[in-house]
This record gives sequence, structure tokens and C-alpha cells, in this order.
Amino acid sequence: MDANDGADAPYWNGLAEGRLMLPRCGGCGDWLWPAVSRCGPCGSETIEWVERSMRATIFSWTRTWHRFGFTESLDLPFVSIVATVDDCGIRLLGRLDDPDQVDPAIGEAIAGRIGATRVEGRDIPTIIWSRG
Amino acid sequence: MHPLYGTTAVAGIGLRQYKRGASPLPEQGVLVEAILAACADAGFDPAEVDGFVSYGDDKNEPVRLMPALGTRELKWSSVVWGGGGGGVAGAFGLAAAAILSGQASAVIVFRALVEGSSGRLSAAVMAHHLNDHMLAAGIVAPAQVCAIRANRMYEHHGVPASVAEELVRASYYHGSRNPEAVAYGSEFDLEEMRNSRWIAEPFRLFDCSRENDGAAAFLMVSAERARDLKRPPAYLLGCANGAEKGWGDLLENDDEALYATAGFRPIARRLYAETGLSPADIDVVQLYENFSAQGVASLIDHGFCTYENVAEVVRFDNLIAPTGKLPVNTGGGNFAQGFIHGIGTAYEAVKQLRGESANPVPGARTCLLAGGPGAPTVSSAIFANEIP
Repeated sequence: MDANDGADAPYWNGLAEGRLMLPRCGGCGDWLWPAVSRCGPCGSETIEWVERSMRATIFSWTRTWHRFGFTESLDLPFVSIVATVDDCGIRLLGRLDDPDQVDPAIGEAIAGRIGATRVEGRDIPTIIWSRG
Repeated sequence: MHPLYGTTAVAGIGLRQYKRGASPLPEQGVLVEAILAACADAGFDPAEVDGFVSYGDDKNEPVRLMPALGTRELKWSSVVWGGGGGGVAGAFGLAAAAILSGQASAVIVFRALVEGSSGRLSAAVMAHHLNDHMLAAGIVAPAQVCAIRANRMYEHHGVPASVAEELVRASYYHGSRNPEAVAYGSEFDLEEMRNSRWIAEPFRLFDCSRENDGAAAFLMVSAERARDLKRPPAYLLGCANGAEKGWGDLLENDDEALYATAGFRPIARRLYAETGLSPADIDVVQLYENFSAQGVASLIDHGFCTYENVAEVVRFDNLIAPTGKLPVNTGGGNFAQGFIHGIGTAYEAVKQLRGESANPVPGARTCLLAGGPGAPTVSSAIFANEIP
């Protein structure tokens, strides 16, 4: 499951360097996610990786209470979200700080910082989002 | 008329179901029992079965079943791609394709699941899908994947979360009256459901299907041949499988309008177009409900209701046999009949059309089998006990 040799390698390398890098088609300019080697609609194989700021809105969410395998490093309950990144519309999976267990609202503005989730002895970089 | 329309049929069915972890036999042994039961049901020599179809990453490669079944010649073995239960109905279409194209003549559709042999289903499904994006977000289980979509359906599309409870109650009502169901004989306690522990919001324990050990098998042959066998045929009228652009394995980047659906819009469109039927022609629905909200989304996708009127249609009274207008999961469904990756819903479809259901729908002629909702690839099929 190591993803660093896939089409999304620049995303993971970007997070490791402290930046959010996302792919855009060099032909038609469409944002492409999941990362691909070719833009289906226009056929271009030129993929540009562009830095985006870690600002987004909440697209949807769940708060997990059950201890599923692979989540051992996370305190229960924890909130996972789908975040729509500003100025590109790409949706990313991530985690949301949930100190007071206030239910997230769809459309709510959030800001991210780069963190990591430890899974089976491996730190996977991810964006941890907070409100405001 | 579409080539699938009424040209093949299920001629025999077999089911073996146990509590999870309680199967008396390893997975392959239980599967062989179910296949032999399906053949006996039809009065068909199991050695004459020449094709097999499964779905959902079933681990039982058909060639390995040959010694126990006495199979004379294997001519067709195939699976519907996908790790979830999206392919359950599509498996019947694949069997029909083999028969209609002359590549096999007697095809077993099956799914087997025994925890002691192949581990937990939820873990296997996720092993098919997991990647670092999901792991880092703490999204590691089907319940969470479906919970995120459910919240979007409730909060953004305005579906009242209370409809999920109506569906769950209907499944348990039917299951409590079905001697073959895990919930047989038990009274459903609404307060217990409402107070059950959170799994992943908005899902509590009772919003989730729970796994069983077991196997089910279906003998499919041409419609003509089925009429010469022991039991009344359950004809396949149509089947559709797949995904449309903007839906699939897209890391949550499905088209916004499709995101909170169960993925069946193109499936329902094709199924109704190819059979000439509409939701009004469906007498009973066997609905794969991995999770309550996805069952509701599937009913919406299949045209039984809309985001706007869902609360008028998905009502307990309306969903139960014999009086409801939209009887759903008359065997108890995945929630209460049992969950062997959804294959029990197909079993109840055939039982209902034969008039053998524990909760018969008076005069039922057509039954929709809606496969696993929310999977990247989904499928549905329509069966009937006469060809309209």
C-alpha cells in the first residue's frame, strides 16, 4: 500500500516537504483527482503539479466511535472528512480536529496543517483540518 | 426484445447459513453443500453443471470444486469484478451470458463466506480498496465509507434520517417471521436500536449488516430447460451492471450530484429500458442493505421515491408484506435474514416468486434484486415467475 510510486507520488512528496501539491491537466486545465497519467476528457498526457493553499470547505464527514483495525493510533472518537480544496474543487480525505465534538457542517470553511497518521508502524502524511 | 428477457431462469436454489465463526465445515465444504442442495432442488445432476460465476472476490475458484461435485467438464468460470457486494445481481447476468452464447449450459451462481477460512468480510472488502489516502484519514471500514455518503444525503439532500429506521424495522419484521433468518423468533426492540452504540455517525450498530458464515448457490439454465426441471422457474428478465462517468473508484471525487447516491442511476435506467418495465411494475424488492442509508439511496436510485418524497414511501407499513405497496426484504434482508455478502437477498427473490417466502406478497410476479449499493461497480436484476 506504499503509494509513493503511483501517479499521486508528487502529492505525497509535496506533503513530506510541507506543501499541498495537486495535479492539473496541461492541455485543458482541468484539475484531476485521483491522480492519473492521462486526462480522459482531452487526452493530454501533460500533468502539471500546482501548489494550493490548505484552505477548504467540508463536503461531508463521519465521527468514528468503533475501534476498527488500523486506527489504533487515533483517539476515539475521531472525525474524518471529505474536504473540497479552495480554488480547484479537488476533494481530499482527511481528519478534522474535534476537541468539543461539535458536529461539522457541510460547507463550513476549514484550514489545514500537515500532520501524519501512524498505521502499523508507518507515519502516513495527511492534512489535519481545523475550523476557521 | 432484449436478449436477456425471459430467456434464462434460476431452476434450483441452495442455502447454508450459520452464525459467524460457527460453520461446521470449511468454506469450500459449505459451498459444495449449497451447490448440491441447489441441484437437488432442481432435480439436476450436479456433475452436469458446466459453469460457475461469483462476485466480491470470492476465494473459491470453480476448478477446485470439480472433484467434490464430480464435474465432468468445466466450460465457464468467471467473476464480476469488485470487492464489495455490487456484483451480486450482475453475476446472474454473467451466467445468462454464458448460457445464451452457448459457452455453458448449466451455470451455478454462488457466494461463500466462512470466517475461519477467509477471515472477516469487512476486512477483505477493505483490503480490496484501502490506500494511503484512506488510512491517513482513519477511513478503514465499509461502515465509515458509507457513513460519509450518508451524512451528505441526510444533511445536503434533505433526506430525513428517520427513514433509515423504517427500513431497518421492516427487515427485522420480516426476518423475525422467517425460519431461515438469523432474527427468526426475536422481537425487534426499537429502543434497543435507537440506543445501540455508535459505529460511525450517522450509523449505530443496527444500521449495519452483520456477517454470517455460509454459502448460497443458484442453478441457472435456459428458460426452456428450466421448464422441464422440478421447480417453477424464476426467469431472469433483465440485468445491468457497471458505473457511469462521474461514479466509481474516485477517492470521493464523484460528480456532486451522484456522490450521495448508491450508484444505481445508470443501472436502473438500463434495466427498465431493456425490460420495458418501470418501478410501478415491480411487485417486491430484495434490497442489499450493507448499511441503512445505502438501502434508502438504492430505493431512490431505482425510482421508487425521490429525495423529496422518500419519507412518504419508505415507511414501515408500506415496506412490509402482505399489505405494503413496496414490500422490501421479505426474508429479512442482510440485516435480519443473514449476511453472506448479500447472496441471501437473491435467495429470497426466488423463494418469493415461487410462493415459498415466509412473508409472501400476494400475487407477486416480478421481483427486483438490487445489488450492493455504494460500491464502485453496482448491479441489479429483475426476476419473474412468468414472462410478462
